[in-house]
Order: sequence, then C-alpha cells, then structure tokens
Amino acid sequence: MSNRTGRGQGFGIALSAFVAFAVGAVTALSLLLGDNPALFGDQPGSAQLAGLLALPADVLLRLVTIVVALSIVIGIANLLTTHVGRLSRGKFYSAVLLASFGFTVYWYVTRRGDTSLLEAVQVPIESALAALLCLSLLHGGSRVLGKRADIWGLLFVAVAVIVLLASTPIAELAPVQAWRDWLMRVPVGAGARAMLIGIALGTVVTGVRALLGQDRSVRG
Amino acid sequence: MDEEFNWLEYSESMEATAGDGEAPGKSRGLRRFLPGRPSLPRLRRGSRAASGPPSASDILEGQDERALADLDERLRALRERSVAASQPAAPAHQALYDVDDLLASPDLQSKPGGVISAVALSKAQERQVEMLRDIVGGPSQSQGTGGDRQLPVFSLDAAPRLLGTALLILVVCLPFVSSDYAEGELPPSVFPEDRHGPRDMYNLLDNLSRDDYVLVGFEYGPTAAGELDLLADLLLRHIFAQRVKPLIVSSNPIAVVHAQNVIKDINRSLSSADAQLVHGEDYFLLRYLPGGALGLRELSENFADIVRISARGLPTGLEFAALEEMTELLLIAESAEVIRNWVEQVLPEAEGSRLLVATGYAAQPLAQAYAEGMEQIVGPLFGIRDAFTYGEKLRATFGAFVSVEPPVGPVIEPAPVNAESDSQAELPRATQAEIEDAPATALPQPTETAPPTATPFMTDTPPAPTLTPLPTDKPAPTATEASIRIVEVTSDQRVNIRLGPTTVHDILALGYKGDMFEVIGSNGDGSWYQILLPAGVEAWIAAFLVEERVVSASEFAGAQDSASASESAARAVMQLGFTLRLGKNRPRFYQAQPPPSGDRPELALHRDRSLETPRLQAMTLGTLAAVLVIVFGNTIYALRGLLRGPRAQGR
Repeated sequence: MSNRTGRGQGFGIALSAFVAFAVGAVTALSLLLGDNPALFGDQPGSAQLAGLLALPADVLLRLVTIVVALSIVIGIANLLTTHVGRLSRGKFYSAVLLASFGFTVYWYVTRRGDTSLLEAVQVPIESALAALLCLSLLHGGSRVLGKRADIWGLLFVAVAVIVLLASTPIAELAPVQAWRDWLMRVPVGAGARAMLIGIALGTVVTGVRALLGQDRSVRG
Repeated sequence: MDEEFNWLEYSESMEATAGDGEAPGKSRGLRRFLPGRPSLPRLRRGSRAASGPPSASDILEGQDERALADLDERLRALRERSVAASQPAAPAHQALYDVDDLLASPDLQSKPGGVISAVALSKAQERQVEMLRDIVGGPSQSQGTGGDRQLPVFSLDAAPRLLGTALLILVVCLPFVSSDYAEGELPPSVFPEDRHGPRDMYNLLDNLSRDDYVLVGFEYGPTAAGELDLLADLLLRHIFAQRVKPLIVSSNPIAVVHAQNVIKDINRSLSSADAQLVHGEDYFLLRYLPGGALGLRELSENFADIVRISARGLPTGLEFAALEEMTELLLIAESAEVIRNWVEQVLPEAEGSRLLVATGYAAQPLAQAYAEGMEQIVGPLFGIRDAFTYGEKLRATFGAFVSVEPPVGPVIEPAPVNAESDSQAELPRATQAEIEDAPATALPQPTETAPPTATPFMTDTPPAPTLTPLPTDKPAPTATEASIRIVEVTSDQRVNIRLGPTTVHDILALGYKGDMFEVIGSNGDGSWYQILLPAGVEAWIAAFLVEERVVSASEFAGAQDSASASESAARAVMQLGFTLRLGKNRPRFYQAQPPPSGDRPELALHRDRSLETPRLQAMTLGTLAAVLVIVFGNTIYALRGLLRGPRAQGR
C-alpha cells in the first residue's frame, strides 16, 4: 500500500513538474512572440497572428492575478481560524485581534468612505515604528567604530555624516553639499544602475532555471 | 574566511565517496589535473577505465551524493531541518501551518540564539549577525541564550541610547514650540536651474486641461506618510485645481484607503462654499491590483476592464480602450521596487504618455537613474523640501487667478514663514506668474544676459538697477500740462514684459505694437526701460522693442482709453488675469479662465501651511543632532579602542 502511495506521489510530482514547465514555456514564448507583428514581417494577418500568440500569456497571467487575490482571502481565513483556535487556549491577544477584525469590518461596512480608523490607528502606529527604526539606526550609527574600527567602518561613518550634513540647508555647508552631490551622482547612481542590471540578469537566470527544471520551487 | 570552500578537497572527497577502488594516498579529484601528475585516474564507475582526459560529462556522471560527514555544519543543519519539516507537523484538519506553533517549536527554541540561528547560518554569518545585534544594542548570545532576557530599563548600558534619543526628540520638538530655534534656510520657491526633472514635471502637470485624464499610481502606505503625504497632497491639488480627473490606482491595498484619506484632507481644507471633491465626478478610485508586478501588468494589458470597477466594487462608468488614452501617468511611490515595476510593466503600454515620478529619499537614486536614462520618465520629485518648493510654485501660479485676498480661516494661508515671504506677500499677484523655460515666441532678445542661476523670487530678488534720469531731447509739450515719458511698442511681434531687466526674469505680461507704457526709469546702460503697467505694477521692457516719447498726460490717457475701447485692447497687456504655462518640448500659451468656470485655484491655495516651516526646521535640527550623536559616539568608541590597544580590539 505504501509502495503504491509512494508511486502515486512520484507520478503527481512528475505531473505537476510537467504542467509547471509547460505553462512556463508557453507563457515565455507567448510573451516573446505575442503582440509583436514586426516579427512576422509585412505579411497580411501578421497582426492577428501576433495577437493570437499573445493570448495565452494574457490568460495565464490573469489567472495568476486571480490566484494571488484568492490567496489573500485564504490567508485571512487561515489567520482567523488560527486565532480562533488560540482563543480556545486562552490567548488574550488572539481575542484582541479577532475583536479588532470584526470591529474594522463592521466600521467599513456601515460607514462607507470613513477612514477614521486608518487615521487614528494605522498611521500613528506605522509612523511610530518608522520613528523607532530611525532611533535604532542612529544608535547603531554612533557605535560603528566601536565594533568595526577599520577603514570600512570609518568610510561608512564618513559617508553617513557627509550625506546627513549635506541634507541640511545651511549655507556654510555648501562644500559638503558638493561632495554629497558627487556621492549621489557617481557611486550611488552606479549602484542603482548596477542593481537594475543585476535584477534583470537574475530574473533571466531564474526564469531559465525554472524552465529547465533546475529550480523546482513549484513542487515539480 | 576560515570556512572558504576548497574545490580540491571537495573533489577528492567526492571521488572517495564514489569508491573507485584506488589506493589510498593517491591523488584524487581536481588535484589530479594539477601539473606534475604522472597518470590520469579512472573516473567512471563500472568496468570502463579512463583512457584519456575526463570530459565534463564524465565528471558529472561521477558525481554522487556526498557523505554526510563531508557536509559542513550549515548544510548539515539545513538537511536536518528539511528532514524534520517533511514530517507532518500540522494536524490533519489544519490546512496551513500555524505560525505561532512554528516559531514556538522546540526545534527552533533549542537553537542557541533562537530563530536566527535556526536558519543555519555559517559561523561567519553568525559573527556578522552578532555584530549587527551588538551595534543596534540588542542582547548578544554571549549575554544569554534565550531571547527572553530582559534588559533593565535604566542601566548604564542603555544610558547612551537614552541620551541620544532624548537629545533627538528634544531638538526635533523645539521648532514646534518656539520660532527662536529656526535653523537653516527654507527651500527655494522655484526649482534650481540644474534640476530639469522637477521643473518639467511641474510644467507637464500645469499643461493639463480639463478634458485630460491622469492615471495616478498611489503606491505608499502610512509608513511613508510622513515623507510623502505633503507631496501627494500638492500633486493631487494641482491636478484637481485644473479640473483634471485623476484615476487613482494602487498595488498596495492600504494605499487605496490612504489615497482616500489624502483626498478627504483636501476636502477638509475647502470652505463650505467651495464644492467638495466627489468620487465618480472629480476623481476615481480604482480597484486594488493584487499580485504586485503581475497586477500592474494586468493594469497595462486590461486597462479597459480595470477602470470600470471602483475600489468599492461599483461601476465607475469610465470607458477607456487602452492605457494610451491617459494624458500622463503620475507615480507616487515609496520603494524602488514599485518604481521598477511601473517602469517595466506599465510604461511600455503607455505610448505617448510620460511617467512622472514622485518618491522618497530611499528610492530617489533609482528614480533618478531611470529619469536620466529614459526620456519617457520625468522627475523625480522627492522629499519634503521638494514638496515645499512645489507648493510655493503652485501658490504663485494659482495666486495669479485670485484678485481678492483668500478667505481668512484657521486652515487658509497661514502667516508668512519669514521676512522674505513677507516681502513676497507685498508683490502683486501677477508678479508671481512664473515660467520655467524660454518663451514660445521667438522674439529678438537683448544681448544682456544674466548668469543662469536659480532665481527664486522669494529669496533671490531681481537686481535693483540704478535708475538714471532719462535724457530727453524732445521738447516738453506745454508748460501748463504735465508731460509723461512713455514708450510705445514698435515691434510687429508680441513683446515680453518682464519682472527685471534681463531675459531670465519672469514674464509678467505681453505687449503689442502701439501699446504705451509710462516710463519710470531705466537700467544703467539704457538697454531696458522700467515701466508702469496699468494696474500700477512695475515691470521692464527691452529698449530696442520700443520707442521713447514724451507726451502730455491727456494724450497718454486718451491713448489708454482708446486702446481699451478698440479691438487691440483685447490682445493688449494681459495682466492680473494672465498666466503663462510652458511644457516640455511643447511650449504653449494658456489664457487663464476665471475660477468659476475654469480652474479651481482654491484647491491649490486653501491648505494648511502652518506646520510646514516648523517641520522643515525640525528636520534640519534633527539631522544636525543625528550627526552630533554619530560623531560623538564614534569618537568615544574610537578613542576607547585606541586606549585599550590592539589586543582588546581583537577580542
């Protein structure tokens, strides 16, 4: 029995892998060829052909969007069931969460367009978290040389001080602003472009690996 | 690094695992390819013996599972965790794992250092985590194994952190309680000459007309509200003031609600007499786009479907065939990733439109790289200081519409921010009309030019020319009647009348052939006349475009009256009701419409600006305090390290 189950699982994995790779290949081909009549020259009907080839990618990507939206609903449902279970174990914060959820839904259903909860709860909480992050970064910045007293630590502190000082609108700090401008234009600009190139290359490599079956994050 | 991977040893161990039967001590793995090796090994398993150099396929074929003993500590830990995870841990009735149970599982809690160590970091990575934890003041592993160790609230270790925090909070609060702590200059009222992006962005939005639609990507939540709310508020006001309808969309669910909140704030700033902005008429809040980049792709591919549904799931009544029908795209985003998604997924489908980007400091470098590399992307506007400048420009432009003082109230037009703004408040509204580019009419310009520096008229007033008495060789009309020195426009083309005696000064009005203006002075070399416009506004006109004469007061008044009655009066100086708007690569003139039937300047003018200045000053003081804390703290630590010597540092 267990052998049969194992064989069934193996078949299921192979099938899911096949479906995943096939869908990926169809989507990639559809994106490459679709909506690009220039690939087919000036032949009559090339536009229709390109549109037809673009259709699979459109349909599949729309399905993905629907699945993602559905996963949010499932996530909410799972969150609620989890905390209902915790509630039975006497977890106080689960009760708070469930009550807050119910109250928020009631509020938005009965008071359409009222964003008071967002203003009174969400914005202050997230702003406070951002402020705490700022304080933590400040504290960390003041201790860098205590933990890394080398050229890189010194460079880090120097750049941080230059960028911060240059962001202050004080006329006496004009030379520092020139340094900041150079930093932002050359190293930071180069980094930003390098990130774009790196992301593009990484996306291509990941896509190819997935299509070749080397990256099996799809349970294939 | 002490755990550097050794390919030679790895290949040897792999081959040993394969068990090819070679005598121990003989070179294996990649070492055999090193120079000086006497003979080649048998790589293939089975009966076939290697008869030549092994190919890549041979090596791959020779690979087998590595022995557990060969795995380093990190890989072994990962393997153990994967084996443990493959066991059914959740009850059968539970479809998804309970995060709380996972985090509290004994497997994770038993790891020294808690969850972080449970992800099987290498020793080097653990050291880096320890260093980061120590830098930000968290409990180190050496201080205890559990994360439950509570640091006392008031301890000597926490004193520097508390002092730094207290200093920062105190300094940031000072500008809000007293104006004596103002530090630094306020942002200019116009964007500097070298920042073309924000200038083009303003002009493009200013060129929109009431038949245009703008797709607004509202991609930030409450976390970035402090940095981006002012910018979003001003950009939306600019759009609303021109009766352009924004279609607001977002791939962030909470941003959809936050956008509603920002518009609600705009409505609050309007007095009861002003019409409130109404969803479905003045703006459209479209449905949330799930899926991040895929959601944005759907927006670009299926735009017609998406604009039909509002954020509340109701029909909007909008009928658009494609994204191309949007006049412009405006993106207000907090993260670089969102900007990248918009550029990659949405922009390719919006041919003919530009993407105007407003963002925060964190995403500014990426947005700048995009704006410099792609002509279709304009901007970026970023941060509170840019928002302040944008607000000043908005106030100047739409202030020209208003001939009466704006309503006085707690939320309208607060007190001037400084002495310079006091002087600006004295200027007539028409003098606040600005342009950012050369005028569309190619008039011959005087040779005198000023250096192309930023000339914010709030802080950089036009140079005061020396007024010299005008020499006149013409006889005075009569002794009994007052004579007036005038200039008459002789150019066949429309001429510019400017705020100052250079071509870089703002244009205040236009003059046509035959128009007369009273002269009140000239610049040093006589190349410009200072004239008095009919409403009493002082302005400048180039001398080569006009002819100077001396006429009687009655003659001048008669000429003015006849001009006002004639057809030419309609195209005479359009002052106090005129604004000039120029767009990027598409200069256009716009005749201002009166507010009731055209633009809605109250949307741009009626906003609470009382906290803007203290906020900017608090930012300046806070930044200085942060620099002080960083420099002071690092100096102390560096000195302490030097005093302890290299031995203590290495510990």
